[in-house]
Amino acid sequence: MAAEPEPVALPAPQRRLAPMLAHSGLVTGAVILVLLALVALLAPWLAPNSPDKTDLMRAFAAPSWAFPLGTDQFGRCLLSRLIWGARVSLEVAVAVVALSLSIGTVLGALAGYLGGVVERVFTGLNDVLLAFPGFLLALAIVAARGSSLESVVLAVSIAYVPRVAVVMRAVVLTIKPRAFIEASHAIGMSDLRILLRHVIPNAFPPVIVVATVSAATAILAEAGLSFLGLGVQPPTATWGNIIADGQTSIVEHPFISIAAGLCIAVTVIALNLLGDGLRDTLDPQMRRQTGLKAL
Amino acid sequence: MSTKPYALEIRRLRTVFPGPTGPLSIVDDVTLGVRPGEMLAVVGESGSGKSMTFLSALGLVSAPGRVESGQVLVGGRDLVKLSAAELQAIRGQSISMIFQDPLSGLNPVFTVGQQITEVLRAHRRTGRAEARREAIRLLERVQIPDAHRRLDDYPHQFSGGMRQRVLTAMAIAHSPQVLIADEPTTALDVTVQAQVLELLDTLRREAGMAIVLITHDMGIVARHADRVAVMYAGRVVEEGAVTDVFAQPRHPYTLSLLRSIPQLDAPVGAELMAIRGQPPLPGTVRQGCPFEARCYLGAGRPACREGRPELAPAAGPAHLSACHFAETLHVQEAIA
Amino acid sequence: MSRHLARSLAQLLLTLAGVVTVAFFLMRAIPGDPALYMLGDYATADAVAVLRAKLGLDLPILQQYLLFMQHALTGDLGTSVVTGQPAMTEIASSVPWSLALAVSGMGIAIAIGVPLGIVSASRHGSWIDRAVMVGALLGISFPVFWIGLVAILGLAHKAGLFPTLGASSEPGLWTSLHHLALPAIVLGLSVAAYIARLTRSAMLEVLGQDFIRVARAMGVSEHRILYRLALRNALVPILAVISVTFAWSLGNAILIEVVFSRPGLGSTIMKAVLARDYQLVQAGLLVLAGAVVFVNTTFNILYGVIDPRLRTR
Repeated sequence: MAAEPEPVALPAPQRRLAPMLAHSGLVTGAVILVLLALVALLAPWLAPNSPDKTDLMRAFAAPSWAFPLGTDQFGRCLLSRLIWGARVSLEVAVAVVALSLSIGTVLGALAGYLGGVVERVFTGLNDVLLAFPGFLLALAIVAARGSSLESVVLAVSIAYVPRVAVVMRAVVLTIKPRAFIEASHAIGMSDLRILLRHVIPNAFPPVIVVATVSAATAILAEAGLSFLGLGVQPPTATWGNIIADGQTSIVEHPFISIAAGLCIAVTVIALNLLGDGLRDTLDPQMRRQTGLKAL
Repeated sequence: MSTKPYALEIRRLRTVFPGPTGPLSIVDDVTLGVRPGEMLAVVGESGSGKSMTFLSALGLVSAPGRVESGQVLVGGRDLVKLSAAELQAIRGQSISMIFQDPLSGLNPVFTVGQQITEVLRAHRRTGRAEARREAIRLLERVQIPDAHRRLDDYPHQFSGGMRQRVLTAMAIAHSPQVLIADEPTTALDVTVQAQVLELLDTLRREAGMAIVLITHDMGIVARHADRVAVMYAGRVVEEGAVTDVFAQPRHPYTLSLLRSIPQLDAPVGAELMAIRGQPPLPGTVRQGCPFEARCYLGAGRPACREGRPELAPAAGPAHLSACHFAETLHVQEAIA
Repeated sequence: MSRHLARSLAQLLLTLAGVVTVAFFLMRAIPGDPALYMLGDYATADAVAVLRAKLGLDLPILQQYLLFMQHALTGDLGTSVVTGQPAMTEIASSVPWSLALAVSGMGIAIAIGVPLGIVSASRHGSWIDRAVMVGALLGISFPVFWIGLVAILGLAHKAGLFPTLGASSEPGLWTSLHHLALPAIVLGLSVAAYIARLTRSAMLEVLGQDFIRVARAMGVSEHRILYRLALRNALVPILAVISVTFAWSLGNAILIEVVFSRPGLGSTIMKAVLARDYQLVQAGLLVLAGAVVFVNTTFNILYGVIDPRLRTR
């Protein structure tokens, strides 16, 4: 039986899955995220109380059956607020990833693939945008547009698009010189087809890793903005808001702020575990591409 | 036939890597030797274990692989039993290795002179000025023109062939008894290849160095080597003097390899002979001969399926083969 | 070498020009009339018109832009509508505070992060490696302002080791340092986590290269391989890590300054945002971005010094 020709596209999906399932970090991260997603989606049914219902008589109540984690300074159920906060974080993460990745990958791929003037303009623009620290850029945009969930999503996405684009361009630059691209040109494939059929599918793995990093950054950014009072406005429960609320009474009742911080941390840890795991299992070369530039 | 003691002798070396169902032998019970002033060529397909054998000998196998058993004797000492510090003292001193890709073998941020000096001072207390002089001498020895000026150049300022020569200079800096060249010419053009091989020949003759040349190019073997060892699936399947092995191979694999080389004087339209199939993945051959599935002689034979052939003399004590039918192989089945 | 230098400087100017442009247009993206915002309750039609004329808002946008550029070159970044002072003055007074925090924070981060990253890479797979990586993971996952709060709670309130505020009006070097310490440590540890992770990656990549294997085969000691041969190659990526995390830390310093009630560029911008003082916000952004560009350019020039391959092109 003659040797089979080397496939030029990605290895079969099954062969990729096995090492992923064996990677403990990846699995842990994925499981936590799935649980969080479930909590967020099922919030209306999971939360024992309404997150906004105040009851000043019951301020700072100790944990009980009615209020499993106690209440905050307005008598609101902490657990319910945390659960609904998960929802906000999830929304923000998904929206930011969707927005920044869809725009950023296209821009980066075009710049990397087309080269020449397009690439030069792209790089110049990117250098300028990247000079603004991400969080501050998001802050400025939120300040300009007014505070709301949409603003936060838009601001963080805009701040993150250049970072995604840079990674994408780097990835495309490693794919472009490969033999199968040259071969595709040689058989007369149009640039667009090459881009869609060969370049982008091969660029998927690093993009997925960047997605996890940008989701993590989005959640931290939203938390920071809400903490500063510029993000999602109270009384909507977001983890950042809860930390801010808890700040005034932190000495006597530290649990409120601490609990919200832990929620954020667990989520971000899970995202990072997933991202690290993907980086380890998908392609060793990705380490360099996605590690530094995605910050 | 030389009766000098071996400069490097590998006995029943086994190197394993952990696998899903147990340890996989990448180097499977390999026995080889090379004498001073002799050039031993080690040939085989990619994955045959030829590089790994010598990496194992030098203790350069990266985790999770490890040398499981066997001996590697150099100057009366068994390298397998040495500590990391002792091994480090021997590497570059008594036994050296140069690798395949000269383009990535040199450190890009240091000058060539600094890198040679680094090797010099790794094993000998040498003053800076003296190390510099010695480095120039070494560059001249490997025929790098304008050595005293090129000493301060960076690797990217050298061509591939020259870089390979610089690496060779580093390898012979302490006049080792054994030099292992792992496909030193694969990444170079033919003309440069010839120069590098000539250099190795010179070292062998003038310094009495024992040289192991790992290659997959039979032409190079024929032209430069004294003895050849053929490896397949982590084992040595044939070993002998080059003239003997080429004249009458005693293993079907060797025979098929030689037959598959296109001949300049073959009739027009003659088919290229290839060996069907692929070498087995490490650890997949439990019993029997690893070549059996692709062997024109042994495919399907119970003797070959069940009994693992040992490396044994097939045509005289110096020509060994690991085949049940070694003695019956006929020259007519060789190059037509 | 000089070609690399020239190229770096040209890039610097170009990027700065771009930064000024972006800052300008960013602030113009505010919907509605800035003059209206600024006057708030005192907004009569006349007052608005006067303010608009004063701020040059009734000029065509291109002209406004050119004027802005021109002013920026001379150091005039507009006037704060709240205080009436030039924006530069406000910023100038907060820069020393931010500088102190940034320098000490990055200093701590580099001093902790880089060695840990190197040690981790050299002992890849060992318990040290795993411990460092777990620590770093925690460091990048907890929001920096939360760490600050917890630090204040634990180390300042309960343990009394540090003051609860990040700044004090009392004079004296020791007092200033004492108040700087906790914010700097919190910022430093947070950034150190990033630096450790990325340094480790960079080192691992270098250690996997062929020339390291060659050095080992030549008998060079592991110690020398790590600290001389590998490190020199990893230096450029490590410096790149530092430059990127510096920019990141400038962005997050605002959170530290708010949590610790510490003056600085971040606090100034924050107050300006809340007061709708868009000239000041713009000026602050510009200065920060400018600082990032300067640092990046310096590092770029440094790469040319370290990596010979960049020189002879």
